[in-house]
Amino acid sequence: MTALLVLAVLATLLGGTVLAALMDRAALPLAALLTRQRVETEAPDRMNRDLSSAWYLALAAIGLSVVPFAPGLALIDSPVGIVIWGSCEALVVVTVFLHGWSPNAPFPLIGAYRYAAIGLPIMLPSMFVLIAAALPAESLSLIDIVESQREIWNVLRQPLGLPLFLVVALAMTLRGPMDYADAADIATGTSAEESGAARALWQVARLAMLVSISAIAATVFLGGPLGPVLPGPVWLWLKTAALMALTVWIGNRVARTTPDRMLTILWVVLLPLSFLGLIIAGVMAL
Amino acid sequence: MAMTHLVRWAARAPAPVYAAIGPGRQAEVERLLTRPGLNRAKTPRDAAILLVAGDLPSSSLDALNRLHDQLPRPRTTLRWLDGDQEAIAHRITTALRALCDGAAGEDDRLPDTPANEWKGIGPHGQGGKGMMGGTPYGRPMAMTGKDVRDGLQLDRYTTRVGPFAPMLPPGLVLEVTLQGDVICEASVQAAPFAQPAEADAPALCAARMLRLLGLDAAADRVIRGRPLRAAWVTGAVPRGLARINDTDARDRLSAWLRSRTVTVAPPDLAALLPGSEWSEAMLILASLPPSALIRAARATEAA
Amino acid sequence: MQAVIVILGWTAFAVVLARALQPAANSTAPQAAPFLGGGTPDMHAWQRFHFRPYSMSLLFIAFEMEMMFMYPWAVVFVSEGIKALAEMGMFLAILSVGILYGWREGIFRWQ
Repeated sequence: MTALLVLAVLATLLGGTVLAALMDRAALPLAALLTRQRVETEAPDRMNRDLSSAWYLALAAIGLSVVPFAPGLALIDSPVGIVIWGSCEALVVVTVFLHGWSPNAPFPLIGAYRYAAIGLPIMLPSMFVLIAAALPAESLSLIDIVESQREIWNVLRQPLGLPLFLVVALAMTLRGPMDYADAADIATGTSAEESGAARALWQVARLAMLVSISAIAATVFLGGPLGPVLPGPVWLWLKTAALMALTVWIGNRVARTTPDRMLTILWVVLLPLSFLGLIIAGVMAL
Repeated sequence: MAMTHLVRWAARAPAPVYAAIGPGRQAEVERLLTRPGLNRAKTPRDAAILLVAGDLPSSSLDALNRLHDQLPRPRTTLRWLDGDQEAIAHRITTALRALCDGAAGEDDRLPDTPANEWKGIGPHGQGGKGMMGGTPYGRPMAMTGKDVRDGLQLDRYTTRVGPFAPMLPPGLVLEVTLQGDVICEASVQAAPFAQPAEADAPALCAARMLRLLGLDAAADRVIRGRPLRAAWVTGAVPRGLARINDTDARDRLSAWLRSRTVTVAPPDLAALLPGSEWSEAMLILASLPPSALIRAARATEAA
Repeated sequence: MQAVIVILGWTAFAVVLARALQPAANSTAPQAAPFLGGGTPDMHAWQRFHFRPYSMSLLFIAFEMEMMFMYPWAVVFVSEGIKALAEMGMFLAILSVGILYGWREGIFRWQ
C-alpha cells in the first residue's frame, strides 16, 4: 500500500507539473532552457544555490504526501497533517530567501528580502483558515478533515477560507500579484542570475508547489477524494487541476502592488478577514 | 535520444530575446516583442538572442559588451537597423534554429580575466579588520552609512544600473546608492537615448507600467489594441507617486489606458528618486512619458 | 515514524534529482559579473541588508506563538463548545488591538 501511495504522490506531482507548465505555456521554454549553459556568478554561495531548488521540490512532495488520495488513505497518515503542511509553507520562505541570497548579486538579494517581508505575514491567514477547517473535524489530520466534509464541503460552510487560501497559494508559488521574489522590476529577482538547467529546475519546483498547494486546498475546502461514481484519486485530481487553473488565471490577471502596501493589506485586511473566517467557522461548527 | 527530443522542442519554443534598444528604436522594439514567436527575456540569463536595435553611441559599447557576455552559451547577437518587423522576426527564428542545430554561438567579447584579482588577507581572503569591510576577491564589501528614512546605520550599496536594464528606459544609466531596497542617492550618469514621438503612444506607455505590475499578457494585449482584461490595475499603483502638474503616476496610467496622451513638465529626477523604494522608483520612471523623462534626465545630467 | 522516513526520503530524492539535472555551473570572468543592465557595481552585493519591515517581524512573532495555542484549541473546540469560542474571541480581540496600535505607529510601512 505504501509503495502504491509513493507512486501516487510521484505521479500526481509529475503529471500536475506538466499540466501546470502547459497552463503557463512554459513547457517548451523549460525544455529549451536545458540546452543552455548554466552560468555562475562571482563568489556565490554554491551549496545554497545548488540546494534551494531541491528544497523547494522536496517541500512540494512532502506537502503532497499528507494529502489523502482516498478516504482514510494518505502517505503520511499523521494526526497533525495540517502542522506538517504549515511547516512546509514556512520553509518555502526560507528556501526562496536562500535562492535569492546565494548568487551574491543585487537584484536577487532585493527579491529575497522582499519575499521574506511578504512571506512571513502571509502564513498567518494561511494557518487561520486551515485551523478553521480543523474545527468541525475536531482533528488536525487531513484525513479527518476530509471525513468531516461528507455532508457539506468546507468551501460552503466557511466561505472565506478558499479565497484567502488562494492568496496564500499565489505567494507560495511566486505568482502574479504575490510574486515579490521574482518580480519584473528587479529583472526576475531571485532567479535573475540563473540560466540553463538551474533556472529550469527552479521553475519546475514552482510548478510542483502549485500542484501541491492546490491539492491541499482541494482536500481542505473541496472534500478532496470525496465524490460520486468516480474513484477517490480521480476526484482529487480533478479538483486539484481546477484549483490550479483558477490560481494561474488569477495570477495572470491581478496587478501586483508595491511591497509596503501589500504588507499593510496583509495585516490590516487579510488577517482580520481570516479572524472573521475563523469566527464563522466556529459558530457553524457548534 | 532524449537530447534530440529536447533540441527539437527547444527549436519550437518562442525565441528568448533580450533587447538592447538604441536611439529612436524603443517603440519598434516594444511592438516587435509582442509577436507570438518571440519571448521578451527580462534578464540576459534567460535569453539566447541579443537583439541590438539601432546605432548605439560609442559610450555605451562597453556596457553592450558586458551585457553580451552575460548571456549563457550558445548565444547570437542580431543587429536590427531597418524597421522591417517581418524580416527581423524571421532572422530571430532562423538564428534560434541554428543555435539548436548545434551552431557554436559567440565567444566572450571581454577578456577572461577577473575584474577583481584575488588579493585577500586571512583564511577567507576577507582582508579586512574584524567583521567590517575588507575586499574579498578584490571587490570591497559594502560599508555602513546614514539612511534617508529611519537613520539606522546599515550598509550602503552603490552601483550603476543601465543603459540596457529592462526596468529602466533604454540608455538611462543611473548611479544609485541603496540601503536595503530604498534609494538613498541617485544621479544620472547618462540620459536615455532620444526617441521619436511614437514612444509616447498611450498604449506603449501603459504597457511599460503594466509589465512592472506583473501583467505581461495584459501589456501585450494593450499594445496590440485589444481590451485589457486585468483587475485592480490602477488601484495597484500607490497614490501620490511622482505628482507633477496635479497628476500622479496612477492618474497617468489611467489616462494612458483610456488612450490619452499625457504631457508633463520634466521633473527633477535627482529630487524625485532618492527616498523611494526600488519598485516605487521604477513605477515613477515608467509613469513619465519618454519625452519628458529624456528632457528631465538631460537637465540633471548637465547640472 | 513513517512521516519522518517519507520526509527524509523526499528530501534525498529531490537533492539527487537536482544534482542529476543541474550540470556544474561554469562562467568566464565577464559572464560572472552581476547583471545590472550593463552597469557595474562598486562592491559585493552581500551586505547587512536594511530589512525595512523589521518592526513588523516582532508583531509576527507574537502571532506565531499564538498559533501554537490554536492547534490544541482547534481539536477540543467542539467538545468545549461556546466557552472555547469566547476564549479565543477574547484572545484574538486583544491581539487585534496590537495590530491597530502597530498600524497607527506605522510598523507595516517600509521604515
